[in-house]
Amino acid sequence: MHIALITILAVAEETAKAGKSIGLGVGGGLGAVGAGVGIGLIFGKAIEAITRQPEMRDEITQLQWLGFALTEATFFYGLVAGLLAAFIV
Amino acid sequence: MSATAADGRSPAAAPPPASTPANGRPDGRSSVKRRLLIALGVYLGGLVALVAIYGFKGTRNEIYKPQNEFKLESWINLGAFSINKAVLYLVIAGALTCVSVIYIARRMQQRPNKVQTAIEVLFQLMRNNITGSAMDSKMAAKWFPFIGTLFLFILYSNLIGYIPLPTNTEYEINVLGAHIPAFSLYAATANLAIPLVLALVVFFSYTIEGIRAKGPIGYLKGLIPGGVEGGMAVPIFFLEVLSNLMRVLSLTIRLFANILAGHLIILFMAGALAVILGVAWLGWFTLPFGIILFAFEVGLVAALQAFIFATLTAIYLGGAVAEEH
Repeated sequence: MHIALITILAVAEETAKAGKSIGLGVGGGLGAVGAGVGIGLIFGKAIEAITRQPEMRDEITQLQWLGFALTEATFFYGLVAGLLAAFIV
Repeated sequence: MSATAADGRSPAAAPPPASTPANGRPDGRSSVKRRLLIALGVYLGGLVALVAIYGFKGTRNEIYKPQNEFKLESWINLGAFSINKAVLYLVIAGALTCVSVIYIARRMQQRPNKVQTAIEVLFQLMRNNITGSAMDSKMAAKWFPFIGTLFLFILYSNLIGYIPLPTNTEYEINVLGAHIPAFSLYAATANLAIPLVLALVVFFSYTIEGIRAKGPIGYLKGLIPGGVEGGMAVPIFFLEVLSNLMRVLSLTIRLFANILAGHLIILFMAGALAVILGVAWLGWFTLPFGIILFAFEVGLVAALQAFIFATLTAIYLGGAVAEEH
């Protein structure tokens, strides 16, 4: 009877740890997916635009870096959400 | 190619092919390729040697804790205002910001030297690209010092985080009998508090500027995009207020997580992973990645994050006083 109780408690704790690990992985992974797609789009569009109008290169490059940093930030939102799930909740 | 060139020119001027002994390499490879091959050989050789000496598996290390790298112990205990590592870095960044610009401003010459040119490039960037593109010229003149200071402070804060300074009081090293704290990397912006305070300052700045320009009711009305009918305006208004508050969080987390993640990944790649897992060859294996990531962080991320923070500040300020769309 006591052994059954201890086993159940151990399994529950293991399950909670597994859930937290999955949360962390999903947070980081999905964040990376979104950021990867977004950054690829931005640089692709920038290359297209510079090809069409080479004289606008400086302005487009500046907008490209702005867009890159804003998109990369969304990866960190996902990562922070995962860290919250794994260590704080 | 040299055959056609020799027709129009004298043979002495024809360029020699790359595989002559003129390079000093009898086997014909250029010296860059040779050096890369030597480096690769040293890398693989070291890897094999470490596996041979220390074995493939290791024992897990429970003593080393990576989070201690970011722990702040008070050096002078003043309660909430204790002097610790982060305060020292803040003071250094602030001093650098003031001194660098004031020093150059006092010593401006007609024909600038390199330092003055660099500061002038930064000045151009701050004034024209960051501030000037988001606000009209009168407001830009008023807010440029604030945005310029913000940019330079965050830039210096990020950059000095990649210079090892003797601030690690957990371990001490012995230099000619004197115990000094060990060298360690730490960035002030890797702590959540500093980007949070900067973001709050920015939030209050643009909110108060908007209220000053349009009055409190006018500012709140200006949050709703033009052309929205009466019924839809209420949920859209709440969404806009929420997105305004999200700006504080996004500014904070963007700067904080970028710098913290950069430091953590350099830490892990440059040896912490090997220390924690106890495998010697893993440290050697991940070291080139650590070096590449270090160069990437210093070269790109530090300056880019400062630029982004300043640009978004300028955009928010410009947007707060703008007329209805």
